[in-house]
Amino acid sequence: MNDLAIRTKELAKTYAGFPAVCGIDLNVPRGAIYGFLGRNGAGKTTTIKMLMGLTGLSAGSAHVLGMDVPNERIAILQRTAFVSEKKTLYPSLTPSELVRFSRGFYTTWSDRAVEKYARLFEIPMKQKFDKLSNGNQTKVFLLLALSQGADLLVLDEPTTALDPVSVDQLLHVLAEDALDRGCTVFFSSHQLEEVEQIAEYAGVIDHGKLLMESRLDDIKSEFRLITAAGNSLPLQTSSQILSLDAEGNFCTYVVTRDAESFAAGLSRNGATITNIAPLSLREIFLQLVRKEKPCTSGNAGTTPDPFSSSS
Amino acid sequence: MYLWKCWHDTRSFFIFFLVIAAASTPITAAVGVGTSLMEGFGTTVLLPTLITMLFIVALGLGAIGAIQEFTDKTAHFLFTKPRSRAYFVWAGWAVGSIELLIIALVNLSAGWLTLVHYSKRPFGTVLFNALKKHDIADIVIYTLLIYSLTYSLTVVLRNGLKGLGASLGSLAILQCFAIAMRLRWNVNVPIPPQPIGSLPPAISNIIWILAALLFVFSAQLIVERVEI
Repeated sequence: MNDLAIRTKELAKTYAGFPAVCGIDLNVPRGAIYGFLGRNGAGKTTTIKMLMGLTGLSAGSAHVLGMDVPNERIAILQRTAFVSEKKTLYPSLTPSELVRFSRGFYTTWSDRAVEKYARLFEIPMKQKFDKLSNGNQTKVFLLLALSQGADLLVLDEPTTALDPVSVDQLLHVLAEDALDRGCTVFFSSHQLEEVEQIAEYAGVIDHGKLLMESRLDDIKSEFRLITAAGNSLPLQTSSQILSLDAEGNFCTYVVTRDAESFAAGLSRNGATITNIAPLSLREIFLQLVRKEKPCTSGNAGTTPDPFSSSS
Repeated sequence: MYLWKCWHDTRSFFIFFLVIAAASTPITAAVGVGTSLMEGFGTTVLLPTLITMLFIVALGLGAIGAIQEFTDKTAHFLFTKPRSRAYFVWAGWAVGSIELLIIALVNLSAGWLTLVHYSKRPFGTVLFNALKKHDIADIVIYTLLIYSLTYSLTVVLRNGLKGLGASLGSLAILQCFAIAMRLRWNVNVPIPPQPIGSLPPAISNIIWILAALLFVFSAQLIVERVEI
């Protein structure tokens, strides 16, 4: 049995010649919480739309819960709950009516979950959708998704418009309730704190390219920021060097593993190591996306060229 | 559940016209009793009422039937439900078609009962005066065609007002085209519900029904390919 809830290979999407997603390889383990990070317009929503069958694939392949996205869309949607970026529903229906509407589509629907989350999120179930506050509209979306009994939750910026208390409640629900059921959670966000709080895995996308995909524990224990000074510093990314930023004789590396041996190697080549420091997800994110150039061919983290100032 | 949603969206419109369908002929007869209006009641009252009302209902239901589901803002919600897009297109059309037919049936029944009441004749002998059965069938099929055209254009354009405008525009262009062809080249372009060429009326009607279904099928093909 496939142990990945979502797997894509060279997944790409082009809109009228503009590459929105450029050949990404996503690997989301079953039963995990995966935070999909990126700036506005990075390609998060387009990727999710492709996974949900809302938009076609320009190239590559995508499998959700072991099923091929274009060919087994309905079977995927039977087991997947989705909260879209646009939190708009039918304005004339109340949350109760939206529950009634959604219930019939799913054999795994749980009315007990509806009661539980309606109470938890304090949703006024008899008020028309367009009369609800933005926060409550978002909560209705989440209520419908969480009550579906899905094997996979795909949430596109789920905390938009939620107040801090509701964000906390949602993260709590995702971290405990969803995982207790063995549900996989794949959520996009640009709120790094949310991802750090509950996610087990994180992927960073920018300009349509997946720049990094890793366990958060690995980031904490293995990833290091190394700053070195010297004349013959390596200026190419590799499987070990996630990113680098060169300026004059100084170069800052984000190293994914064996930081000590990497630093020792630099020292042997005459470089002076000025700093080795652990990294938070925020620091890695900023290191990756601040200097990334628009989509070109190549693998994640190999975008040419960060060193225009040094050459 | 989707059928319930379609009913929920159209029920106010439907009930409003259902009341008009039920009340229009009895009220007209009550006002016109003892006058010449009652002579040829079927052709002078019932037929125009039926045509006008079904025309409005067809356009109205076509423009409001499924519009909320196919707009930019909510399509992502509907199209991530585990059903094919074709199901949503045809379910919305089916609900509107049934409502259209119910309104036609109620209007005709009310007209028939009114005639029965005022003619003082046994039920079986009462007809709609000069109104023939195939006239009624023609009207219903014609309005079904208009409804299907409006619905399909609304779904494709994802906007009720645009769908309504495009539908009316298409009908007007077709009429003008048919007139021009007849006057200029003496070619009769069949306009629904007229018989097509020398085909029997029943066959022509079947072809018009198939044309109505073809509109919806075309809309389905487009919706299945649209990127949300």
